[in-house]
Amino acid sequence: MAAIGSAVGLGNVWRFPYVCYENGGGAFLIPYFVALFTAGIPLMILEFSVGHWARNAPPKAFKKIGRKWEWAGWWAVLVPFVIALYYVVVMAWCFSYMIYSLDLRWGSQADVFFKNFLGDTGTPEVFGSISIPVVLGLIVIWLCVFIILYKGVHRIGKIVAITVPIPTILLIILTIRGLTLPGAIEGISYYLTPNFSRLTDVNVWLAAYAQVFFSLGVAQGIMITYASFLKKKSDITNNAFIISLADAGTSFLAGFTVFSVVGYLAASQGVGVTELGIGGPTLTFITYPTAISLLPVAASFFGMIFYVALLTFGIDSAFSMVEPMVSGLHGKWKITKAKATGIMCIIGFFISLVFASGSGLHWLDIVDHFIANFGLVMIGLVECLILGWMYTLSKLREHANETSEIQIGRWWDYLIKYVIPFVLFLLLAIAIIDNIINPYLGYPWWVIVLGGVTPCLAIFLLSFVFMKIKKHTEAT
Amino acid sequence: MGLPLSAIAMLIFGSVILYGGLAYFLYKAFRREKNR
Repeated sequence: MAAIGSAVGLGNVWRFPYVCYENGGGAFLIPYFVALFTAGIPLMILEFSVGHWARNAPPKAFKKIGRKWEWAGWWAVLVPFVIALYYVVVMAWCFSYMIYSLDLRWGSQADVFFKNFLGDTGTPEVFGSISIPVVLGLIVIWLCVFIILYKGVHRIGKIVAITVPIPTILLIILTIRGLTLPGAIEGISYYLTPNFSRLTDVNVWLAAYAQVFFSLGVAQGIMITYASFLKKKSDITNNAFIISLADAGTSFLAGFTVFSVVGYLAASQGVGVTELGIGGPTLTFITYPTAISLLPVAASFFGMIFYVALLTFGIDSAFSMVEPMVSGLHGKWKITKAKATGIMCIIGFFISLVFASGSGLHWLDIVDHFIANFGLVMIGLVECLILGWMYTLSKLREHANETSEIQIGRWWDYLIKYVIPFVLFLLLAIAIIDNIINPYLGYPWWVIVLGGVTPCLAIFLLSFVFMKIKKHTEAT
Repeated sequence: MGLPLSAIAMLIFGSVILYGGLAYFLYKAFRREKNR
């Protein structure tokens, strides 16, 4: 249960529905399932094997593979830290909505309320003012992350293990309510009906792989760190399958909740599901409140419980994104975990303030687009190349098989060495060219460079800097 | 309007693979824990 808790987070209930909506609903599900089974689960087994074998955070684990690969480990821990910077902002929104649930403050126009709540400027080019409720939420969330990591993940893990079923039950309740709304069937039809013509769009495939990586926590160093804490006799393969399927199952369920409400909203406005004019990161902050308001009894109570549940869903993912970085700093420079946690949380808080501004929603969307679609997929590719070609992969397979009931065959080696790198390289190459020709959402180049290219490059360069600092220390 | 056949097929496929698969692996994990 604790393992499921670490994987299931806002990536399932917040990110999956809007990525699915933006990429054609049912058209997205086919690439999503393909990505899950051809890359997500095999990479999960790979990261579990590496973490369980190396018994260290990613930088040291990759160093154990070969000294010159340490940068890949740093790269893998820096990316989730950057994701955490905007992930906590979404949690801060949830925190505010938890309070707003008391009087269902969003009223009948959840979309207008959300934009006012953020003080949205409508464009990344106008910075706007900082939203005080979001800043207060950020203080609470970063404080929680600090306390949890400071006190020790293991103790909190037990609490999270108990709270995991609650959000799932509430999600089921909201889904049932959503499905009984007029027009819900239109939304579900959009969600489930495959549109085969979209399968030729490389961006849909890239988004599917990115979503699987984002949600499962692979290619982020999280699972390597998590597996390093596993007992020696833990069943690696079974754990990997349970986490992956629970994670994808939650996403699939959240899709029903959101798309049933999308169908309802479309029907009530007399437009098609694709013509609603909502989407992106705001989608779930319009659909869930609408579903809560439409509950026949105790809407405020269920609303508050739902956002508490979302916070518990998110908090374990949030600290698991910061934990690899803290473990990496502790492992390399022997900085105490408390000090490393404090430093990272303070830095994190100040950077995440950017996303609390009036233009924050747009910057969040841009950073997420580039970090998830390019950063994560690139790390997945590099991981496969290093572990598949620079190390004897069969040793990792044998290590996994030693403790696992289900034995992995050679097919896994072929997937890691050939299939996944080929697919990811192809997707990246085509998507990079496509993004150069058609800048993301038509934004000006300085916005793309500042919000997309700069974080990706900075992470890449920092990973080498972190590796080199040690060499300097050793030399002196 | 009902769901198209392809949507029903996707619903069954997703449910069986994800929830059926999860139930199967959880069962294996509990059985292993019990036999310890």
